[in-house]
Amino acid sequence: MSTELNKIRNIGISAHIDSGKTTLTERILFYTQRIHAIHDVKGKDGVGATMDSMELEKERGITIASAATFCEWDDNEINIIDTPGHVDFTIEVERSLRVLDGAILVLCAVGGVQSQSITVDQQMKRYKVPCIAFVNKCDRSGANPERVTDQLREKLGHNAVMMQLPIGLEAEHEGVIDLASMKATYFDGDNGEVLRVEEIPAELKEKAELKREELLEEASNYCDILADAFLEEQEISPEMILSAMRKGVLTRAVTPVYMGSAYKNKGVQPLLDACIQLLPDPSEVTNIALDLDNEEEEIILGNSCDDPIVALAFKLEDGQYGQLTYIRVYQGTITKGDTLINTRSGKKLKIGRLVRMHADQMEDINSIQAGYIGALFGIDCASGDTFAAPKLNYSMTSMFVPNPVISLAIIPKDNKAQINMSKALNRFSKEDPTFRTFVDDETNETIIEGMGELHLEVYVERMRREYDAEVTTGQPRVAYRETITRRAEFNYTHKKQTGGSGQYGRVAGYMEPYSEGEFEFINKVTGGSIPTQFISSCEKGFKAGLTKGALMEFPVTGIRVEINDGASHSVDSSEMAFQAAARGAFQEAYKKAKPVIHEPIMKVVIETPTEFQGTVMGTINQRRGTILGAQEEGPMCVVESQVPLAEMFGYSTVLRSSTQGKAQFTMEFANYRQVPQSITEELQKKKAEEGKGAA
Amino acid sequence: MNVQDQTAQVIYLRERNFIMLKKDLMMRNPLRSVSDENGYILPEGGLGAVVARAGVGKTALLVQLALNSLLKDDNALHISLGDPVRKVSLWYKEVFNNIGVQYKIDKIDDLWNELLPQRFIMTFNIDGFSVPRLDERLTELADQDIFHPQMILIDGLPFNDQMKRADLHALKELSEKFKSHIWFTVRSHRHEEPDNDGIPVQIAEFADLLDVVIKLEPQNNEIRLNVLKGSGAISAQDLALDPATMLIKE
Repeated sequence: MSTELNKIRNIGISAHIDSGKTTLTERILFYTQRIHAIHDVKGKDGVGATMDSMELEKERGITIASAATFCEWDDNEINIIDTPGHVDFTIEVERSLRVLDGAILVLCAVGGVQSQSITVDQQMKRYKVPCIAFVNKCDRSGANPERVTDQLREKLGHNAVMMQLPIGLEAEHEGVIDLASMKATYFDGDNGEVLRVEEIPAELKEKAELKREELLEEASNYCDILADAFLEEQEISPEMILSAMRKGVLTRAVTPVYMGSAYKNKGVQPLLDACIQLLPDPSEVTNIALDLDNEEEEIILGNSCDDPIVALAFKLEDGQYGQLTYIRVYQGTITKGDTLINTRSGKKLKIGRLVRMHADQMEDINSIQAGYIGALFGIDCASGDTFAAPKLNYSMTSMFVPNPVISLAIIPKDNKAQINMSKALNRFSKEDPTFRTFVDDETNETIIEGMGELHLEVYVERMRREYDAEVTTGQPRVAYRETITRRAEFNYTHKKQTGGSGQYGRVAGYMEPYSEGEFEFINKVTGGSIPTQFISSCEKGFKAGLTKGALMEFPVTGIRVEINDGASHSVDSSEMAFQAAARGAFQEAYKKAKPVIHEPIMKVVIETPTEFQGTVMGTINQRRGTILGAQEEGPMCVVESQVPLAEMFGYSTVLRSSTQGKAQFTMEFANYRQVPQSITEELQKKKAEEGKGAA
Repeated sequence: MNVQDQTAQVIYLRERNFIMLKKDLMMRNPLRSVSDENGYILPEGGLGAVVARAGVGKTALLVQLALNSLLKDDNALHISLGDPVRKVSLWYKEVFNNIGVQYKIDKIDDLWNELLPQRFIMTFNIDGFSVPRLDERLTELADQDIFHPQMILIDGLPFNDQMKRADLHALKELSEKFKSHIWFTVRSHRHEEPDNDGIPVQIAEFADLLDVVIKLEPQNNEIRLNVLKGSGAISAQDLALDPATMLIKE
């Protein structure tokens, strides 16, 4: 294993379906000698070509979809990290993007920048991932890499610069011209593995000169020496150009464009060279951890192998030998036998078996150093957990886990689905702390809870695809809450003294709104009017009242209860009696305390081409939304808003159809806010109708 | 009195609380001493400039002018050239929280949520901003009945060689068209001498288009608000910004 950080690349390959991500990944693994034969993506019947890559990989039995695949190129180590295909803002997406240092953005030479490429690109932008572009499928009819480069500029706002020119397009696509070295490269042999470097064909010479000029002009922005040499018309070496471009790539100021056809085995090796030459190594990326002992203060990690260990478990996988935990080490060196702390749970863990994943096998290793990606066996943890040396209490992800805001009932189709569903649910709730599941006592239905409609949809889909669990879903429900708006006194006596053993208890005090938390109970009883042993029963009784508010039966939050007086009976008072008294007191005061309903408000951020800005704002306005602002960034505009979750159902479809599929949005929970009077009345009406229906 | 007049309007208790709170804040607002009886510093369709060196408090003053109009139930559009929406939002939150602390308001968050729909932040890259573009956006917002600003604040307008008299004219026309009050910031520089009236060189040639020019100047331990140009009774000689909270004080 190499110990030089500058020889490591942790990269992701991002693409939309059908732009050739699977083929490209497979060719990379072939040329790096990780797999020894190339299989065609297209099945005999041709169905394979449009199939989703995940299922395809399963069918083919190779592990391209594993969270991280390791390969070597020219004495450098490359980890290819799987990037999620879905675009919803979930913790999972964030995690995958956190472990990448750079990315290849794959675009189709015919289709160019499509709406899904826009989405993929925006994810990269959000996490500031440096990237290079690869225009694939130059052999297809209608291929035009120059047009795609222009689209990168216009539609995505990238400062895209061509690093190559194609030699022939469509059926005549033979190779590429490297504009830095001004040489033509052809790909010979059965699988394009033999590179033949020649002079540029005469008919392309002029165009290549012109494009090189553009490249030099751009590169000179990042290197003064090159700029001077360019102005003085001196000889400029390919190394100078690449080193200047690298500076630009690292700051995301420029996106170099490479091209070829992975399917026809053209242009893949130069792309691998470019990954090494232009994308950052782990030491060039600033990684930030949160210090849990210091109010989640941001700490810049050292990247050194000698520092105390900090590592992130970014993906869990069920293998035949149990749970495989993929980790990225940010600082320090994890060695077999080390004892680390899982900073989320505080539990100690001992490192047993360490492995590195290859395309179709795994390799046992002794240690994993800073900047590296590897996997652990036999560790019980959840995805997103941070492992740190015992004295450090750092976390790579925020510990704050918001409460779910939406729920959905799921019903398995048959017995088999039932078993698979519970396996899947168990797994998902481990992977994603914002995804929860429970069985509703009243309806006996399995309920899943999460952060948004899309969030739950993704999991339902994964249940079907990965666990073969067919489920039907109920209507999504918003997690409304109730709270009180004013102080109210209570003085309630629970008395049952007719026949048998009696029950007696009186509690008095008040309840008031409480903004710092969900519930606070204060005991100010003096003189033993309620005996000490019954105080905790009173608290229990009040807590029982919180589960269902009297207004609409939603959970109650934001209440402080103080008890300051009461009465007991030497024989008839019991824990049960005081619990009942507290429940009664809660109901008595709750109605007087002017309860209201609160609803979850989501922060909705929409990224749209500027021409649809008005339309997008209109859609927010129709949904009781508040537009916080609009930010114009070149051809795109970002609209930030707050919208009640209840109004956001089906929004993705509305947004797609009103912007020709060019806008996308992310949604996350912001806060709870009081429901307007008119909506409260509507909710009550609906509830009454449901009640009638049930009766 | 006819029957219609007698029909009382229903005001929910919660809203009444906010109305009272807003009135209370307005009463205590130091800016009222420089405002007309309706609480406006600028005439309708007017232009005002806040001039200061970098870091002296232009944005803080702009935000308070905006909050002033939000409390009056006017809509405020804040345009920032360069800063992202999040940063501008933070400015508002910070200034508003400081007001909450200073005037000891309990339900500051609730009041803020109440005011939020009246504020709109728009940000542009400096290169991407032009008055016709702004006009286009505002017309779009108004046509769809999404937002009608009574107060427009532009932070970071570049007063360089490219800024032409025609641009300011266009801005003035925009202000008149939308019946709004437009304030913008002007960054002055230490080494540049102002003209005879104290108006900085950057805007001297447009001074006749401006209704009010307020200059922020650090003096002793506070930042004085000097009115370089004003209409009517406007005199802000007694006002200053508290450097700790950036709030206006008398």
